[in-house]
Amino acid sequence: MKLILSDHDERIIEHCPATVEQILLEAGINPLDVLVSRNGNLISEDTVVGDEDEIRVIRIAHGG
Amino acid sequence: MNQKVRGASLCSRCDEPAVVFQRDARRHLCAVHFMADLESRVTDTIKTRRMIMEGDRVVVAISGGKDSTALLLLLSRLLPAWQNVQLIAITIDEGIAGYREATVKAAEDLAHRLGIEYHCIAFPDLFGDSLDVLLKGRETLACSICGILRRKALVVAAQRAGATKLATGHNLDDEAQSVFMNALRGDLPRLIRNSGADSKGRFIPRIKPLSFISEKEIAAYLVLKNAWNELPECPYTRYALRREVRSILSDFEYRHPGTMLHLMESKEKIERSCAGPLFSAPLRTCRTCGDPSSGDLCQVCLLLRSLGR
Repeated sequence: MKLILSDHDERIIEHCPATVEQILLEAGINPLDVLVSRNGNLISEDTVVGDEDEIRVIRIAHGG
Repeated sequence: MNQKVRGASLCSRCDEPAVVFQRDARRHLCAVHFMADLESRVTDTIKTRRMIMEGDRVVVAISGGKDSTALLLLLSRLLPAWQNVQLIAITIDEGIAGYREATVKAAEDLAHRLGIEYHCIAFPDLFGDSLDVLLKGRETLACSICGILRRKALVVAAQRAGATKLATGHNLDDEAQSVFMNALRGDLPRLIRNSGADSKGRFIPRIKPLSFISEKEIAAYLVLKNAWNELPECPYTRYALRREVRSILSDFEYRHPGTMLHLMESKEKIERSCAGPLFSAPLRTCRTCGDPSSGDLCQVCLLLRSLGR
């Protein structure tokens, strides 16, 4: 599975299927600090994603 | 199988795939039901707290960032159903190079798109210089200095626009962070201060219609409304205590859902217990600018004097 982070860094995640929440926690990301989309559609953090998926992380916290 | 559905939980109210999971309520919602739920909660907050009344002229402080963008979108969508309420959007341009230009443009574009009267007021017009210039050598104090001046600028802008209410986009995370920070500082008067209270005309009441909506929900609403903008981050946030508090509270909220709401409830309980004159010294008038003040000089005039202005 491909994980695209908010800084456009890309990581290949093995051990799928897994929930979005598990993947974020393994990447050191608090699921409350981000939104996640798959193919342009928002998905909830308990969605199970598989090897063929590409998910994108959107960081939500901005100062100012 | 449908790409949108594969591996997804279904909405608690229909068979569409969930886009959010509300952890404290243990509830999944699809896009349609999530947006309806959020709009209904904002309406409920405004009505039960009597934030906006018939005939109000509501100035919305819009920075161009996500919270104020969501606030303006929501109010422009919800208010037409109410009688005789007028919206005016106002941006304060502090003068932060590499940051504010993009957000000011986003704010102006949004207001024009929604057909809402729009004004922008810049720091140099009010205080003689941009924030970048005022902060030279004092960058670690950026958020305190900016906060005081920005509040003053908003009040001036709201007065010029003839506002009866001043609406800001503070969300649940912001409000819980403020409660936590005031507790950390031992600042009880600020902890219980209610800027929305009736001050018998001395202040324009401030309202925060998004104060029970989480930052994540606001971001999700904007994405679903195709109004999400990737904008630069304020370069001064790295000096902010709030940044540390945000991270601590977000971790706590993840491990103990409902923490932020409980902080808000604590604040309101303390506020009710401390009602009355316990911490509120009689208001005086600043001898320099004439604004209401707790001392001989108001906070803004004290600050400007310390900045050599």
